This record gives sequence, structure tokens and C-alpha cells, in this order.
Amino acid sequence: MKTTRIHWVVIVLVCLGAMNFLLGKALAEEPYPTRPVQIIVPFPPGGVADLVARPFATALEKHLKQPVVVVNKTGAGGAVGMQSAAVAKPDGYTLMVALSSISVMPEVDALFGRPSTYKLKDFASIALLTADPTILAIKKEAPWKTLADFVADAKKRPNEIKYSSSGVYGTMHVAMEMFAHSAGIKLRHIPTGGGGPALTALLGGHVDCLSGGPNVSIPHIKAGTLRVLANWGDKRLPALPDVATMKELGYKDVEFYIWSGFFAPAATPAGLIKILREATAKAVQIPDFKAAMEKMETPIYYLDAPEFQKFWDSDAERLIKAVRNIGKAQ
Amino acid sequence: MAETLQNLLLGFSTALTAHNFFYAFMGCLIGTMVGVLPGVGPLAGISLLLPSTFGLDPTGGLILLAGVFYGAMYGGSTTSILMRIPGEAASVMTCIDGYAMALKGRAGPALAIAAIGSYVAGTISVVGLMFLAPPLARFALRFGPPEYFSLLALGLLVLGYMTGGSMIKNLAMIILGLLFGMIGIDHMSGYFRFSYGIVALGDGIGVVPVAVGLFGIAEILATAGNPLRPDVLKPKLKDLLPSRQEFRDSIFPIGRGTILGFLIGIIPGSAHIISTFMSYAVERRVSKHPEKFGHGAIEGVAGPESANNAASCGALVPMLALGVPTGPVPAVLLAALMIHGINPGPLFIKEQPTIFWGLVASMYLGNFMLLLLNLPLVGIFINFLRIPYRILYPIILMFCIIGVYAVNTSFVDVGIMSVMGVLGYLLRKFDFETAPVVLGVVLAPIIEMSLRQSLAMSNGAYIIFIQRPISAVFLGASLVMIFLAVKPLVWKRKDWRERLAEAEKKS
Repeated sequence: MKTTRIHWVVIVLVCLGAMNFLLGKALAEEPYPTRPVQIIVPFPPGGVADLVARPFATALEKHLKQPVVVVNKTGAGGAVGMQSAAVAKPDGYTLMVALSSISVMPEVDALFGRPSTYKLKDFASIALLTADPTILAIKKEAPWKTLADFVADAKKRPNEIKYSSSGVYGTMHVAMEMFAHSAGIKLRHIPTGGGGPALTALLGGHVDCLSGGPNVSIPHIKAGTLRVLANWGDKRLPALPDVATMKELGYKDVEFYIWSGFFAPAATPAGLIKILREATAKAVQIPDFKAAMEKMETPIYYLDAPEFQKFWDSDAERLIKAVRNIGKAQ
Repeated sequence: MAETLQNLLLGFSTALTAHNFFYAFMGCLIGTMVGVLPGVGPLAGISLLLPSTFGLDPTGGLILLAGVFYGAMYGGSTTSILMRIPGEAASVMTCIDGYAMALKGRAGPALAIAAIGSYVAGTISVVGLMFLAPPLARFALRFGPPEYFSLLALGLLVLGYMTGGSMIKNLAMIILGLLFGMIGIDHMSGYFRFSYGIVALGDGIGVVPVAVGLFGIAEILATAGNPLRPDVLKPKLKDLLPSRQEFRDSIFPIGRGTILGFLIGIIPGSAHIISTFMSYAVERRVSKHPEKFGHGAIEGVAGPESANNAASCGALVPMLALGVPTGPVPAVLLAALMIHGINPGPLFIKEQPTIFWGLVASMYLGNFMLLLLNLPLVGIFINFLRIPYRILYPIILMFCIIGVYAVNTSFVDVGIMSVMGVLGYLLRKFDFETAPVVLGVVLAPIIEMSLRQSLAMSNGAYIIFIQRPISAVFLGASLVMIFLAVKPLVWKRKDWRERLAEAEKKS
């Protein structure tokens, strides 16, 4: 009984393989897309990646003329979703919007000597969608007026100033340690379960500072409960024009963005990537999409595939260095 | 006061517009369904609905999603009471006494009191939200890791009262739950623990698959293994409403559940689940007849069902007053506003009065609608029990699987649910309570994280738990609990456990 079933499976597989071979040429020239396209978001609904991907999917739909569906595939800090996108069939129907943490996870896996769930080479870049520098937020009552005050105090009291983060090796952790390493200071790390809890810890006065995305902190800055000492970008933020960058303040090697990019599995045919790049270039020009992103304080920062790849390579290099500097937690 | 009334008027004028009224109704209806379906909880429901709100205006979207959240708390009790299958994780405690009541033919009153308790709790909490949101939210922020740890330490001590039967068996179950809770990535160092190379286990074991497995699947297995064909319960129409005595017994549990739920709900974390456990334990502790618990005490339904509703409202306090999401559900609600370019912060109530007061007013309406929706539904839901098990249970099994899968679109979760189902079946056969396991799974990550965060904050000094006043109060209360537990040993008086054992021997 069992053997017959296996026989059948083998026969079906062989037939499918033959069909694939025969149709291979025809398929390559078939118009794309002819059915709904799926964008995997490896983070939960309501997170940064999700808030970018959903309006983006709506904008993309207008040019692909097919429904673009966002699927949240969460787990293990994004590793589950990124792995599923890495091994997806490279037919242009399974794509992914992921965050800068994509470059960090394989390095952390290497640090702990465990097999990585995906490699950076598993993905072909299509476009950079957003890139927000993190900002150094402190409580209104905090004693420091400038970044220099902060660094001087941290040198006087090593490991006494506390900061919260979204989790170990998460964006907020890596950004802060990159700065601490450059400034030669030691800060005390309090990881929490996500960006929300990290902000709550700062607002409640349980930690002294954090390095986080501007979008969630801006309402608190406007309300006067938080102040900002520096920004990790290479330019000042339009929303916070008075806040100097780390580079301006003398930390030349400190640069960090929470960015979101649009990816396809690496083996996706170049023709399909080209269609997706063109559709993305048009989608980011749609006023509704632009306005939606600006209102969320996450403005579009579009780079087409070649520039994005360059941006990604240099960003990944900085992040990998930062992770190695952090090393394994004790 | 006059200002509040004026604001409330503004709120009702917003909430009573045809489309907002419709969204509130839809939210409550979807919420009830999400609650009734096992596995599908409010988080999954709201997450799935979130994209559909992008086309609505922000007020309508928020009213709709909030309706799903508190509506789910109403629906969650239904399958718990009728089939001992929790509709969502916050209804685990309702399974125990609710199902026991159903076996005695009192399913109608149990369902009715759950709806009434939810209504009272929901409405009173909205009053709390309306008047106290800003000061309460500031108080909630003072709950840092040390306070949280001490509260949970107290909570664990109260748990000794949670379930009847053998103390050793209960402790073993709590420990088992805590052990399950240790699986997954260590959030302080990044190491994976007990994940055996399965990436999805890195997040640990979720509450939903454990609760649905241990209660739902185990119940289905146990029924199937029953040599006797179970009698289909056919309650008469006049048995649908609670008796006068049952009403009287429920008043105080509803009141206590409301206050407890609201306060615990405000505190950051997945509080609505914890609030039901706490409420059940408190009811049992203060009851004159603790031996009735587990055998169909209406207090065991009224308290937790009120608590989870009040907690769902409390969870909105820090989000609306400060723009701080304290749990996964408020985080999604926050996202629903952010997508419209509204970034809630400390000035949210002042800057967006229409949204805040519209939501408040819609919650008054919504709770009333849910009561009107759920009381007549009692009569309909009861009829589920008339469906033969061979038809009903496969359908429920299907919903369990779909529901658990939908939370994270993860097959690993379905696997966990199946394993837990078999485990739950075995535990039941050996007469172990399974509720403490669920609680252990909920608490383990939070206790561990808050302990280690506290020690990171103090650089390893345990004195931080006494230095901080709120934390010290909880630890003091824990000491009193321990003293109360030791007292019978010293004064040679029988404690309720012994009375319980005697009562059980007699029966």
C-alpha cells in the first residue's frame, strides 16, 4: 500500500519535472504578473516594516495591475520570515520588505557558532524604501545639555548610564554600542521586548536614554517629555533641524539607519527584477504614498537597486563591525 | 466636570454618526465571533483587520478595532463554558467553573453572568478611562522591571489558592509551565535555549497554542475516549437566566474583578490573561465556600470574565493618554492611528479630542450593544450542545487548528498545540489540573525578564526590590501571604484546604 503511494508521488514528481523542463522557455517569456503578488513582512502588524509595506503594496498595485498582498510571517526577530523569503520560489510572486536587521542576524548567528537561517546572498535587492537615522533621546529632566556633557559624564561614571533597547543585537542596541565604541564610553544595556517597551522604560525613568527611530519619539519631543542630543544620520532631520549629527559632533564613523528595503529571492530572473524596479520607481512617486509616509515621520528614501546595493553593502559592513565589537553578552 | 460632560457630548455626537455607529457594531460583532472561535484571539483578529481600516477615517478605524478587542472578551467565555475549550487565552479560568456549571445544566446562567459581568466591567472601566486616564497612565509608567517582578512574585504566592486538589500536583504543574516558558531565545544574551535547531521555537512557546491544546484538544480527545456516549445537555428555556441567589453571589466578584482587572490592565504586559488568574485566585481566597470552586461556582465565572473585560479597557489607558503601547494589541491599535498620520503622544487627548472622546463614547455604546447581542445569543449558543459530538467536535478541531495557525501563520504552533493536546489528555487522565501550566507559560518569560532587567539596572544588587516603594509594598504583601499560610501550622486551625479535602471525602 505504502509503496504504491510512493510510486505515485515519484511519477507525479517526474511528470512535473518534465513539464517544467518543456515549459521552462515559454514561462520565461510569459507576462508578469498574472496573479496576486505576495510581500512577506517578517515582523508583526503595526511594526515599522509593516507600516511601510502596506501603503507601499497599495502603491505598487497600481503599476503591477495585480493585487499585492502583505503577509506577516513573524518569529525569532524576523529570522523565520526572512528564511521563508530566502527559500521561496524565485518566480517574482514572493517578495519581501525587510529592515536593516537583515544584515545583523547572520553575523550574530556566526558569533554564537550556530548555522544561519539565511545568507545575505540569498536576496536580490530591488529598492531602498525608507532610511531613518536613530536619535539619542533623553528625559527632559536629564542633566546633560549636549552630547559632550553626556560623553563626559559617561566617562566619569562608566557603566552607570543606562539605556534601553528593543533587544540584544536589535537596531537600538547596535546603534548605541556603535556610538559608545566610537566615543570610548561604556553604557549599561537594559534590553526589553521591543521598541514600545524600550520607550516606556525611558518615559518611566527606569533608564536614562535610548537610541531609537524618530517616528515614535517625535510626539514625546513635541510634548516636551523627551529631548534629543544627537542623530545617527549623515544629514540633519527635517523634523528636528536643531539636532546635530554624530558626524558633525566628531564621531565620524558613527552612522546608523533603521532602513526598509524591498527584496526578492536571489535567483529571481533579471527580467522580473527589472519590472519590479520600474514599478517601484513609479510607486514611490505616488503622492498618496509619499504623504502617508511623511505623516508617519518615516519619509521615503528611495534608492534603485544598484545604489541600494552599494548602500546596503557599506551599511552591512558598519553593522557587522559593530556586532563584532559588542561580542557575546556575558 | 462640566468640561468632561461637554467632551462626552462631543464624543457621542461622533460615535452616533451613522458610519461610526456601524463600525462600533461591526467591531463588536467581529469581536464576539473572534472570541467565540477557539484559537483566534483578539490579537489575531485585530491584526487581520488592520489593513482594512486604512481606507476608513482614523476615528472609525480605531472604534472598529477597539470593538474587536473588547468584543472578544465577551465571546471568549462561550466555548469555555459550553465545551471547556477557551475561546481565547484570557478565558482559560472560565473553563473550570463555567464548564462545571454547564455539566450541572446551568450553562445558561453561566453565559448570562459572563455577559452581564463583562458589561458592568466594561462600562465602569470606560468611566475610569474617561476620568483617570492621564494620572493612571503616569502611575503605570512607574511600573518598571522591579515593580513587575515583585507583583508577579506576589501573584505566584496567591496562586497556591488558585486550584483545588493536591498542592504537590499543582506546584508540579506550575513548574512544568514555567519550564515550557523557558524555551526560546534568552532576551538578555541572545542565546537560544531548548530550541533544538527549530527557528520558530526561538520565540518560545506561545500562550495560545498551549491554552488551546491543553484545554481544547485535550477535551476533544477525552470525549472521544469516553466509552459512554455523553448525554447532550438540553437546558430548558427558563434555565437560561441566573437565579436570584446566583445574581447575589456574583455582585461582589464582578466588582472585585472589575477593579482588579482595570488596575492590572494598565500595567505594561499581557495583562488581561494574568488578570483572570488573579481574579479567580482572589475570589477563591475570599469565598466562604472555597470548596465549591472547580465544581461550578458562579463566582469563578463572574470574577475572571469581568476582570478580562476591565483589563482590555485598562490596556488602552497608557496608549491613549501617553501614546505608549503596553502590549501587542495596543501596539496594533497605535499602528492603526499612525497609518493615518496621527502619532499619539502625551498630547493625544488634547490634540485629537474627536478621536479620544469618540472612542470613549463608542465604548459605552459598544458594551451595551454587546450585552444586547450576547444575552439573546445565550439561547442560540446553548443549542450548540444539541449538535451531536461527531459533527460538532471535528468542526471545533478545525477552528482550533485554523485559529492557532492564524496567530503567527506558523505550522510549528499547530505542532505545539497538538503535542499539548496529547499532554493535556494524559494529565487529565492522571488527575492533574492544566490551568497552572498555562499560567506558568504566561508568567515564566515575564518573571525572568523583569528579574534580570532589574538586576541589570542595579548592577546585580538585589536591594533594588526593597529600595523602590511600589516593589517593597508588593514584597511586604507577599510576606503577609506567607505568614497567613504558615498560621494554621502554629495555631492548629484547619485551613480551607483541609476542609476541602474533608468535603470531597464526604461527597
